[in-house]
Order: sequence, then structure tokens, then C-alpha cells
Amino acid sequence: MPRDHEPSLNEKQFVTQALQENLRLDGRELDQYRPLELRFGDQHGVAEVTLGKTKVLARATAELTVPYPDRPLDGIFTISTELSPMASPSFEVNRPTETEILLSRLLEKTVRRSGALDTESLCLVAGKQCWSVRVDVHVLSHDGNLTDAACVAVVAALRHFRRPDTSIAQGVLTVYTPAEREPVPLSWLHSPFCVTWSFFGEEGTTALLDATWLEEQVRVGSCTFSMNQHGEICQIAKLGGVPVDAVALLQCASVSLTRVKEISDLVDRRLAEDLKRRDKGGFMAELRAENDR
Amino acid sequence: MTASSAPEVAFGVLPRADGSARYSHAGYTVLASVNGPIEAQRRDEHAYEAHVDVIVRPAAGVGGTRERHLEAILQSSLSQLILIKNFPRCLIQIVLQVENSPENDYVNTKLVQASLNFALMPALIQTAILTLLSAGVPMRATATVTAIAISHDKTIIDPSPRDVETARSVHVLAFTSQDDLLLAESEGDFTVKEWDDVYETAKKICCRPAPDGAAMQLDDDESSAAVGPDLRQFLRSMMESKVAADLHWK
Amino acid sequence: MATKHHVVLPGEPIDPSLIPTHPKHPLRLGPGLRHIPPEDIVPTVAGQLITNPAKNSMWIEYNSNRYIPSQNDLVLAQILRSTSDFYLCSLSPHTAPATLPHLAFEAATKKTRPQLSPGQLVYARVSLANKHMDPELECVHPSTGKADGLGPITGPGCAFDVSLGFARRLLMARSREEGGVGVLEMLGGEEGGGLAFETAVGRNGRVWVGSESARTVVIVGRALQETDRLGLGLEGQRKLVKRLVREIK
Repeated sequence: MPRDHEPSLNEKQFVTQALQENLRLDGRELDQYRPLELRFGDQHGVAEVTLGKTKVLARATAELTVPYPDRPLDGIFTISTELSPMASPSFEVNRPTETEILLSRLLEKTVRRSGALDTESLCLVAGKQCWSVRVDVHVLSHDGNLTDAACVAVVAALRHFRRPDTSIAQGVLTVYTPAEREPVPLSWLHSPFCVTWSFFGEEGTTALLDATWLEEQVRVGSCTFSMNQHGEICQIAKLGGVPVDAVALLQCASVSLTRVKEISDLVDRRLAEDLKRRDKGGFMAELRAENDR
Repeated sequence: MTASSAPEVAFGVLPRADGSARYSHAGYTVLASVNGPIEAQRRDEHAYEAHVDVIVRPAAGVGGTRERHLEAILQSSLSQLILIKNFPRCLIQIVLQVENSPENDYVNTKLVQASLNFALMPALIQTAILTLLSAGVPMRATATVTAIAISHDKTIIDPSPRDVETARSVHVLAFTSQDDLLLAESEGDFTVKEWDDVYETAKKICCRPAPDGAAMQLDDDESSAAVGPDLRQFLRSMMESKVAADLHWK
Repeated sequence: MATKHHVVLPGEPIDPSLIPTHPKHPLRLGPGLRHIPPEDIVPTVAGQLITNPAKNSMWIEYNSNRYIPSQNDLVLAQILRSTSDFYLCSLSPHTAPATLPHLAFEAATKKTRPQLSPGQLVYARVSLANKHMDPELECVHPSTGKADGLGPITGPGCAFDVSLGFARRLLMARSREEGGVGVLEMLGGEEGGGLAFETAVGRNGRVWVGSESARTVVIVGRALQETDRLGLGLEGQRKLVKRLVREIK
């Protein structure tokens, strides 16, 4: 089992000491994110998020399948997270680490359990045919704050994704290939995003956003808020670490909302830009697609 | 989607890996990272040479036997190129992540079991080589790869997924920079004569001599329309610009 | 010194006219080249071929991120754990540990040897590097018995990661003229407003920056990393230093 690289004692001491003076190693403010970038691929449903040196790729896909017998009216929606050795040689294939399990649980709670995707709309024939939507999250480079970056990637990939169009006539289901009919977007209800706080100092008095890998190694606790731009909280996860004052957490929650709004704006903007880029032919191209049939 | 789009590469995409490159050609985009030489695990340790570990990850779905097969092919070819005897008991880890592959607009693909095909292999190998170069891993030589499909007595270079589906046979050939054959993988029905033709075409694509002067250049332009982009020249010019950027202070 | 721009790729033949021929000295091959008997010299990495006819030597100049130990290199090592006779240290993440004997410190005896805890940084010299063995380190000059600035790193400060090529340039005797890095001088000089700090540059791509003031450490560390990442020239470094000093309070 390859060991994960530990930061040196000198680095650990310095990070804590500098934070007492409200200084971060990269010169950022305590509640400042690293530059967040979102890029879409040539295909629908591919989103790559860059947050400083952290890079996450998400890819959404769909296929026809049979619904679960206990939920005949719902489609299937899964998020698969795997940390490959690309992120760090200490991650092994097919051997999940704690980081990976926590990441996939958090994404599950934030995106799936909060009902961001309308799974009922994925059902085509009750109990017989439904869409199974799957998002694969690939961590390409790990420099801290995977949760926030991965969440943006998942939400952006799903909102960018187009599934094949279908129709039912006289009880016969037809699935159209992209050449026959333009694929259609998923029925999307709201966009939740994660904001992770890291706590430092003996009693966790210093709180900062978007910790780097080094800062994550030194922190005494962390807390992830998931909410959408309307301020509806999907989940709050504080897994272990030192106890943190309730008032401080409330303060964190309100700052999180402003960050979520900023992220939400960025995703909306990028999606609109991408739509414009693809829509080269404009109305005429659409007319042609109609004529094809 | 044009099948024979010009190859593109970006180095240093992943700041925390020893070497990384994103390569796209003929509609395929592959991102790769190289780490090494690092400490090998006990079970992979070899007393006299480095272990080359290749991991291929499909864009969607979990990897299966097809990926393991590709990994095995890549591992044996890359071990020939890397000077593995220089790093006993070490591990050189290459992770290849497929980001984009051209879609076949005429079929709805099943995706739970990702299916990687032959046409992907040139992109994988070329990315691996570029990434190894960017990581400064000592190598014996570089290599260039191409895929050729034969359908209805027509040879198609860099076939699209639709071409692969209709083709009678598909071949992947790689040549080292010393013009030696490094890899030859074939799939489908073909005759010895056809394979010989494929070999000659592939050699023409992979082992084009460096253009010497203006007269050569003219010749080259004419032939390049027939056999696609000059991969060897591409590899060299890309590495030249990378070295120039690294050594800007010289 | 030949400075012509010759980029070579692994396995490419080297033009024989470029190989230096000196009547007395034997030919010395540096990093990135290998000799295939009887008389072939072949590059193994992509880089620029540099020849020095005066010393009859040639090597390939290139940049990378993974440190491969070589004798007499100065490195910044991190203690992993202690055994009965030596410390095991890490030179770069995920590589086999290097050994540092308990007695390889200045004036160290069984009783007076320094007690180092895991995670501590030491500035050391590579005393043995061989591909079949784990590298060995020392913090003392073997013949004089003096530390010459080597030893455990104490005091407030932080280590920063840089590329191997940049670390090499920082270690050059005349780093400003030959390596094109003046960022440290600028930080301590007029542009940086005379920041007071000390550094220890490891050939393994780690730089330790020490100072009483945390602000100084952050400024110096960022200046180094940005210069490396963006490939700044001297003018760019001057601008960067001024901007960082202004921005970080």
C-alpha cells in the first residue's frame, strides 16, 4: 500500500501560525475561493471544473433500462465517484479510500437526495422502461476541496446533458438517434452546490473556505453546507473534528449562501455561452432538422 | 465531426503530476498523467527493472476486460520504449483518461459497459508517449502510431467509429523513431497481401523523413493530403516548443 | 561554450560534429545521454543539447518534476522515522526512502546526536546514489567534519515545491547571470523593500524559506513559485515582487 505523502512538521507549524495572523500560504483572503473555471466538452454532458490546482471531470450518460420493482414510476439516477492514481499515486484502482467514500456520500446527499433531478420524468413506461442516468466523476488533480469542485462538475454536466428523444405511439416506444431527432435536456428542478469550511486553531475559531491540500492536512475540523441559490439548505455535514460554536456556524452558513450564488451565476453564464457556441446555424439549422424527418 | 482533424497537444495540464498531456486527434481526446520513477509495491517489484503500470479509464462507466486488454498491449509496447533497466525496483505509472470519443450519430450506444475500440488505440499510445516525454522519463526512442481500416477494398486512415463498424478489418501499427515496427494489432478478416499493404501505408505515415529543403517540402505537401498529418514532425515540433518554454532562461 | 539551440528527442542520432573532441580530457556525459558501446551517444530525454568543449563534456538540459538522486546534490529531506542506526527520509513523495545515519551530523556521537522527530526537515548532501541501492545522505563534510550549513532546519519558516530546473537555477553560483533568477535578490533589495529572510534550496525541488515574519515567508514563497510556474524573465520577476509586496499585508 503506497503511503500518502504527509506534509513536513515545518509546513504544518507554519500554516497554523500564519493563519493566526489571518495569512494564507497563497495570499488569499480567508473566505476567498481560488479561481473557479468551468469548461464543457464537445459532447453533451461533459464538464471540467478547475479550482486552482484541483481539477475534476464529470460526464453524464443515459441508457434505457427497467425500473426497480419497488419504484416502478421512477427512473434511475446514479453518481459514481472513483479516485484514480491520476489524482495521486496513493490512490489505488478498485480500493476506495476514506476520501473517496466521503466524497461520493456527500455528492449523493447533495444532488440525488435533494431531488435536483426529477427522476419521475425519466420513467417512460411504468414498471417496464425508464432512463438510467449516470454521472461519472473523475478526479484528475487533487489539491484540496474536492467536494466543492466535484459538486459543480456534477451539476454542470447534468444540466449540459441531452438524452435521446423518445415517443410512444400505440404502446410502442421509439427512441430516436441523434441523427433523427435533436436530443432533449433532462428535467432539472434546482441546482445545489457545496461550500466547505475548514476550521483551524485549538478551538476551531479560524474558519476558511476552499482549503488547499496542505491546509486540509492541518485543519482541526471541517463542515460542508449544500444549498441552492434560493438559500434552501439540502444538507450540512460536519464529520468529526473539534466542536465549533453554533453562532460561528450560522455565520458560515450566511457567507456560504453568497458563495453559492456566485457559483450558480458562473454555471448559468457558462451554460448560456456554450449554448450560443453550439447554436451556430441558429433557426435555419433547426428548420433543416425538421425537414430531415 | 471531421475524422482527420489535425492533432493537438497541451502539456502540463495537471500541475501535481510529474508529467501530463492532453492529446486530441481524429475526434478522440485523451488526458494522461505520468508519475515515476516511484516506489513500487512489493507485488510489482522487479529486482532488475522498473514496472510500467498502465491504467486506461473510460469516460463513462466502469472499465472491463476491453480496458485490461488495451492496458496489456500498451504496457508491453511502452516497456520496450522506456529504459526500464535504469530504475530497478521502481514503478512508472501511466494513467490514461479518455475524455472524448467521436459519437456515432446513427446508433444509441449502450454505456454501462463502456466499449473501447481499436480506433482509440493510436490516441492512447500517442498520449502516453507525449506524457512520458514531458515527464522526462528516459526512453530508448519515441514512436508514432496510426490506425487503418479496410472496408470494401478501400483503406481508411484514422477511421471514424462508423468506419470501424462497417470495416472488414482494422489494424493498429506503431513505429519507433528508428523506423522499427513496435506494435501491430489487427482485428477482422484480411489476407496476407492486405496486411502487407497496410504495413506499407502505415510505415509511410509513421516514418516520414524529416523535410530537408524547400523542394522536399513541396513534395511533402502533395503526399500529406493522401496520408494525413505528419505525426513525427508534429511530435518533434511540439517537443521543441515545450523545451523552448522550459529553457526560456537559457 | 556552445549555445546553439539543438533540441533532441530520445533515440535521435547526434550530429558527430557537435560532440566535443578534446586532446587530453576524457569525454564526460551528463544527464540525459547514454553511451551504447562502441561509439554511439544517444539522448534519452527531450531537451536541449549543451556541449562544453573546454571541459570536454556534454549533457541535455531539460526540466522535470521527479527527482532522481545523484551524488553530491544538496537536498531538503523530510524525516519519516528513526531506526536504531539511521533516520529514514523522504526526498520526494512516493519514492523509496533515503537513509541518514545518526552519526552523520557535525560533532555527533552516540550521546550528542540530534534527536529528530518524524516530519522534521533536514538540509543534507547525497553521499551515495546508486540505482540498485537506496540513496544515502549526510549532514557533515566527510573530510573536514564541519556542517557547512547542513543539518536540521529549525526556526519559523515553510517549505515550497518548485520544479527541478528552477531549483537548479537557484543553486547556480551566479544564478542571476547564468540562470536568469534574480527574484531572491530583488526581494531582499530595493524592489522588495529589504525583506529579511533565509533560504535553503534543495535540488529535489523543495525550497525552505525562513523568517521571523510570516508575511515575508508567504511573499518569498509565492514569488518563487510564480516565477517558476509562469517562466518569468528578470523584468517580469521585478514586477511580480513589487506586486506581491503591495498586495500581501
